[in-house]
Amino acid sequence: MDRRVQPSFVSVIFGSGSCIGAAPTGRMAMRIEQIIENKTEYMDLLLLTDPQRDMIDRYLDTGDMFALYEGKELCTLAVITVSPGKRECEIRNLVTTYGNGGKGYTRAMIYYLSEQYRGKCDTMYVRTWNYDESLRVYKRCGFEHSRTLEGYFVDHYMEQIYLDGKQMTDLVILKKSLNEEVDIKKVVNFALNAGRVLLKNGAEIFRVDETIQRICKRFHVEEVDTFVLSHAIFINAERDGEEVYSKIKHVPLSSANLEIVAEVNDLSRKITAGMMNLDEAIGEINRIEQMPAKRKYQLVLSAGVGASAFGHLLGASAMESICAFFIGCVLYIWVLFAGRHRLSKIIINIFGGILITSMAVMMYVFVPVRMQIDGMIIAGIMPLVPGVAFVNAIRDIADSDFLSGTVRMIDALLVFVYIATGVGLALGVFGNWIGGVGVCLTGLL
Amino acid sequence: MLNWIVVNVICPCLGTVAFAIMFNVPKRFYVSCATIGTLGWLVYCAALEPSSPAIASFCASLTVVLISRVLTVRMKCPITMFVIPGIFPLIPGASVYYMAYDLVIGETREAGQSGFLAIKIAFGIVLGIVSAVSIPREVFGGDYWRGRRMRK
Repeated sequence: MDRRVQPSFVSVIFGSGSCIGAAPTGRMAMRIEQIIENKTEYMDLLLLTDPQRDMIDRYLDTGDMFALYEGKELCTLAVITVSPGKRECEIRNLVTTYGNGGKGYTRAMIYYLSEQYRGKCDTMYVRTWNYDESLRVYKRCGFEHSRTLEGYFVDHYMEQIYLDGKQMTDLVILKKSLNEEVDIKKVVNFALNAGRVLLKNGAEIFRVDETIQRICKRFHVEEVDTFVLSHAIFINAERDGEEVYSKIKHVPLSSANLEIVAEVNDLSRKITAGMMNLDEAIGEINRIEQMPAKRKYQLVLSAGVGASAFGHLLGASAMESICAFFIGCVLYIWVLFAGRHRLSKIIINIFGGILITSMAVMMYVFVPVRMQIDGMIIAGIMPLVPGVAFVNAIRDIADSDFLSGTVRMIDALLVFVYIATGVGLALGVFGNWIGGVGVCLTGLL
Repeated sequence: MLNWIVVNVICPCLGTVAFAIMFNVPKRFYVSCATIGTLGWLVYCAALEPSSPAIASFCASLTVVLISRVLTVRMKCPITMFVIPGIFPLIPGASVYYMAYDLVIGETREAGQSGFLAIKIAFGIVLGIVSAVSIPREVFGGDYWRGRRMRK
């Protein structure tokens, strides 16, 4: 038995020719919702473009269903499936209700789906039949011909399908790249920003480099050259040999925040896995950068605990370790104070050394328990030790980023020199104050 | 014995976590950091007896980075998280102090020795990190070993 689709459905089904250049945004009441439950309620509508129920059942469960409403009226319905493991999605069914053709709903739906699936997929396919009107509509929406399966509807459907008095025999698959409209500047700026956040918070050079490259690749900016130093990022991106964009970013050396490094690393993973589109990612990196650091008192206390624990390890007695706790706390209050007033590293560390030594001498003099000065000083030094710079320097050198590695290594070594200078200065002064360096200090110790 | 445990297990634990907090390492890594720091220190202690501080530092930093790399693959996070707090107990702060002290009291020869010891220890750490880092990444993933067994 022939099943004839009413010719009046023609414009209904395929949205008709009113595909305009831009997505219709002026409509106030138009909204698109995903339908998660009771998808079978819409079966009647789906049958208009796919007239056989068991064919619909194949994709209805796994597919995502979206409905476009104008006011309260359902205008367009779409079912889309994502191929697992491949970055492809396919619109299996797209139907516009009777009387709503020619209003740009189809176009709006396709635009919406493209935006939704841009993060997960690179290519969007749509299946339709060899009907000129529908092909024309899809082509206006940016689709191009992919392949034709001749006789598909004759072989797979029990009933024959007629549109406009013409039998529909062939399945036509059209495709559209979801990434062609990516703005090269936006991508590069975002990648650069992610790199800057990483570098600023104590990531290694190769991680910064890799993150930038991955983000650019993911958003289809293929030709990227980066040059990352310990305090600057140079990036140059090209597309099709025409559009060239380069940028340099200065990243001053600053204190490490490994939580931010971990978060950006996760973000980069998510982006590479295609779980995010560009705008979401930009929002996310801003959120990560605004993440609050640890509370001040937590930092101060942990500096104290760190100083006393490692001091005890390195040979300080129990009482000396307790004193070292207070030294560490006071020292870190100074470090935080100096950091807020942007004092230079030289001042922070030399004065830090002086502070440690003075406090240790004070405690030696005023605490009525037999203690040694050196234990307290060694413990007190620990919070100032440039661990991040030291480890990163070694990693950079191991990765053959010699320039940045050397800079960071000098940074770390100089901090050691500053601390030693501070400690030495203070020891000298206290020695003279109590009377003769050699006599006093050997006496003290 | 109890005292030894307190000194050599609890102290590195506490200290490593304290430094992890100072560098804003996320909370979920604290336990791993403490384990790595403690193991690194224990290796250092064990290796110190039969050899020199420099070689002990090498062994300890090698251990720290190797464990860190395994955990990095497991927990999908930057290796810096674990290495920086873990390496802290090994950094030769004491030698640097003694160098400064000896310089002040005019014992130049002693100062030179302390400084040279600091450099040797630092070099031990550098070698440890570099040798552990230069092992290819795949070795630390489970797939590599499973794949090997299947090939056999």
